[in-house]
Amino acid sequence: MSHHVGAAASTMQIGVRPVDPPLLRVRDLDVSYARAVRALRGVSLEVPHGAVVAVLGGNGAGKSTLLRAISGTLPFAGGAIDGGSVELDGRRLDRMDPAAVVRAGVVQVPEGRQVFGELTVEENLRAGGLAVARRARGPARDRVYELFPVLAERAGQRAGLLSGGEQQLLAIGRALMAAPRVLLLDEPSLGLAPRMVERIGAVIAEIHRQGTAVLLVEQNAALALDLADVAYVLEVGRVALHGPAARLAATDEVRDRYLGVGVAADHSTPDHTQETDKPELVVEGISVRFGGVAALSDVSLSVAPGSVHALIGPNGAGKSTCLNVLTGVYRARAGSARYGGVELTGLRPHRIARLGVGRTFQNLALSATATVADNLLLGRHRMTRAGFVAAGLRTPGARREQSEQDGRVREIAELLELSGALDRPVAALPYGDRKRVELARALCAEPTLLLLDEPVAGMTADESARLAGIIARVRAELGISILLVEHDMTFVMGIADRVTVLDFGKRIACGTPAEVQRDPEVVRAYLGAAR
Amino acid sequence: MNHFLTLVVNGLSLGCLDALIALGFVIVFKATRVVNFAYGSLLLLGAYVIGRAHAALGFAAAVLLALVVTAAVAALIGVVLLRRLRQADPGALAIVTLGVDIVLATDLTRRIGTDLLTTGDPWGAEVVALGGIQVPQTRVAAAVVAVVLVAGFLAVVKFTDWGIGLRASAERPATATLMGIRLRRVAASAWVLAGGLAAIAGLFFTAFPSPGITGGVGQAALGAAVPAAVLGGLDSTTGALIGGMAVGFTATFAAGYQDQLAFLGRGFGAVAPYVVMLLVLLVRPAGLFGSKEITRV
Repeated sequence: MSHHVGAAASTMQIGVRPVDPPLLRVRDLDVSYARAVRALRGVSLEVPHGAVVAVLGGNGAGKSTLLRAISGTLPFAGGAIDGGSVELDGRRLDRMDPAAVVRAGVVQVPEGRQVFGELTVEENLRAGGLAVARRARGPARDRVYELFPVLAERAGQRAGLLSGGEQQLLAIGRALMAAPRVLLLDEPSLGLAPRMVERIGAVIAEIHRQGTAVLLVEQNAALALDLADVAYVLEVGRVALHGPAARLAATDEVRDRYLGVGVAADHSTPDHTQETDKPELVVEGISVRFGGVAALSDVSLSVAPGSVHALIGPNGAGKSTCLNVLTGVYRARAGSARYGGVELTGLRPHRIARLGVGRTFQNLALSATATVADNLLLGRHRMTRAGFVAAGLRTPGARREQSEQDGRVREIAELLELSGALDRPVAALPYGDRKRVELARALCAEPTLLLLDEPVAGMTADESARLAGIIARVRAELGISILLVEHDMTFVMGIADRVTVLDFGKRIACGTPAEVQRDPEVVRAYLGAAR
Repeated sequence: MNHFLTLVVNGLSLGCLDALIALGFVIVFKATRVVNFAYGSLLLLGAYVIGRAHAALGFAAAVLLALVVTAAVAALIGVVLLRRLRQADPGALAIVTLGVDIVLATDLTRRIGTDLLTTGDPWGAEVVALGGIQVPQTRVAAAVVAVVLVAGFLAVVKFTDWGIGLRASAERPATATLMGIRLRRVAASAWVLAGGLAAIAGLFFTAFPSPGITGGVGQAALGAAVPAAVLGGLDSTTGALIGGMAVGFTATFAAGYQDQLAFLGRGFGAVAPYVVMLLVLLVRPAGLFGSKEITRV
C-alpha cells in the first residue's frame, strides 16, 4: 500500500547529503491504546537536519499518536509503544520520560495552542524554559520576543486574553524557550483566520531558516505541502504515501484523498429528495464567536426533507461549531436556524432533541461497560413512559413497554448490522463497530433529522464504504434527513445529495458534489493556490 | 460597639488561622486534583508531636520536629498515592485519603488516651489588650505567622520557577508535561509543603484558647478547611486566603451573636461557615476564585 514517490530525490532537493543520518528517525513504530486499539502500525519516518517534514492525514489517522510517541506523552493518553524505535541523533527517545525528551531537544507544540490562560505571557514563556539551564533562558526569550514582537508588548497580560492567533504564536514561542533541535507542531493552523494562517506559515519558515528542524502535523494540506520539504500521508495508522512535498501535491492520490475526485457518484437521483411529511431545516446567517475568534460568520444552508447534506471543510472551518449551534450546545450571536418552522437557536438541548433532532458525537459518547443493547435502550429513553416505580414493580404496562422497546432496538440493530453484537459490552467492540453503535443509539430516539459528526473518522476504507451503504439504507427505510460533517471526501462525495463547504467559518461553496469538486475556491482551500 | 470590635479583631485572627489551614488543603488539590481528607489528621499529627516533644526538646525544637514529621508523612501519603495517580481518578484517591485520615486519627487518639497534652507554647494563656479589646496572645502570634506564611507562599507561587511549574501543571497537566515539567515532582513537593503547613496550623489550632490536643482536633480543623477552601475555589491560593477569612469571621460573629441568633438553634456558629459556603456556591459554583470546569462537546 505504501507508494514511494522518489524519496531519494527529495533528500537531494533539500541539500542534505544522502549519507547524512537523519536528525530524528522513527522506525517501524507500533502503538496501541489500552492494549487493544492499534493506532500505529509499522510507521517509519525521518526528519533530516534542518528540514520541514509534514505529516498529513484525516482524523483518526494516527497523527497525534505519532507526536505523542515521539514526545513521550503516550502513557498519559493510555497508550504504549509495542514495537519499533524513536531516535534523535542515534539516542533512543522512546524509553525516556517527557521531561528527558524535552531536554534532549525535541519539543512539542500541542494541538489547540493550550496556552496557560491564567498565567501571563511572560510566565508562559518561563514555563516553556523550565526544562533548560537558567542561563540559556535569557537569550531564548530575546529570540522569541524578536520573532514575535507582539508577545513582548503583551508580556504582562494574561495569556487567556490573547486572540487565537496570538495564542498560537505564544504556544510556538513557549516551545522555542527550550531551544529545541526538532520542533513538533500539532495542527498549528487549526481554527485561525486566513491572514493568521499565512503568518503562522511565515513563522514556521523563519524557524526553519534559523536551523531548527520541524515536524509539522496538519490537516490543512495546502499549508503543510507549501512549507514542507518532505511529506508523509498517514492513513489508519500506516504511512500510505510519502515523498517530496511538491511532488506529492501534484499526485492524483493526494487529490483523491482531499477532494474525493474520481468517485463514481451514485446519488442525486431526484426521488431521494421526494416530498415527505418531514420538516425542512433552514439555517440563515448564523454567526458564532469565541473570544476574538470568529468561528462561524454568516453561514446559511438548508437540508431538504429526506436528503443527505454534507458540511465539509478543512480543520477548524467551523463544522462542529455549526452542529453545536443546531443542537443548542452553543449560542449563535446572530442568525436563525428553523426546523419545521420552530426556531432552534435559544432552545435548550433537550428541547431540540424532543423536536426530533438527533446527533452523534465525533468522540464517542457511549457507556463503555454497558452492553450494546443497553446503550441503545438508553437512546430510547425519550420514547418510554413507565416511571421507575412501575418498572420496578414490573406492572403489565411496563412489561409491555419493555418488550416493545426491545423489539425496536433489535430492528435498529439489524439495520446497522449490529444484531450479533447486542449482548456484548461496547468496550469489547472494534472502533468501527462502536461508531455504528453511536449511530444506532441516535436512531433509537427516532429522529426526523440526524446530525452526524464525523461518522467515518478513524475508519478503514472498507469500514467507511460499509457505513456509506448503511446510511443510504437508513435514509431509504426511515425517510429521515441527514446533515453530516466529515473530512473523508470519498465518503462524502459518494453519499451526499448536496454539499456545503466551509473555510475559516465562511461558506465558500454550496451545490451538488460534482459542482463542489470543480469549484476553484474549494480546490484552493484544500490544496492551496497554484496547484 | 465594644463587643462588635472585639468580634472583628477575633474574627480577623481566627480568619488568618483558617486561611493557613485552607492553604495546605488547597495546595494539594491544585497540584494533584486530589481532595486531601487526611489533612485534618496531619494537623493533629503535627500538634501531637509538639505536645509530646516540647517537654524534652523545648518548644522551638519540638515545632521543628513536628514540621519534619508531618512533611515526611504527607510526602509518604502523596508518593504512595501518586504511584497510582496516573491511572486512578482523583475521586477514588480522595476516598483513599479518607481511609488514611481514619487510620491516622484513630491511632493518634489512642496514643493521646487520657493524657492532657498542651502545645507548651511561650504565649500560654496571656491576653493582650488592644485598645480595650481582649485578644489572646496566641491568636496574635497565629495572625502574624499566618500573614507571613501566606504572603510568602503567594509570593513563591507568583514569582519562582516552582510556582510557575505548579500553576502551569494545575491548569494544563498534559501541556505542562510537554514543557518538561515533571508532574510527580510538583505533586510531591505540594504534599511536603502541605504537611509543613499542617504542623504550623496544628500548633495554633490547639493552643490557647482551644482546650488542648485531643483526638477531635483533626475533624474540627477539616471542618474549617473544607468550607474555606470550597468557597474560595478549591484550586486557588488566593481563594484559600479569602475563604479562610470568611470562615473565621462567620464563625466568630455567629458565636458572638448567638443570643440574637438563638432562633436558629444552639451551636449555629459551627454551621454558619457551611451556610455561607452554600450561598456562595449557589452564585458561583466554582467558588470565588476557582477555575470553571469547561467541557467541549
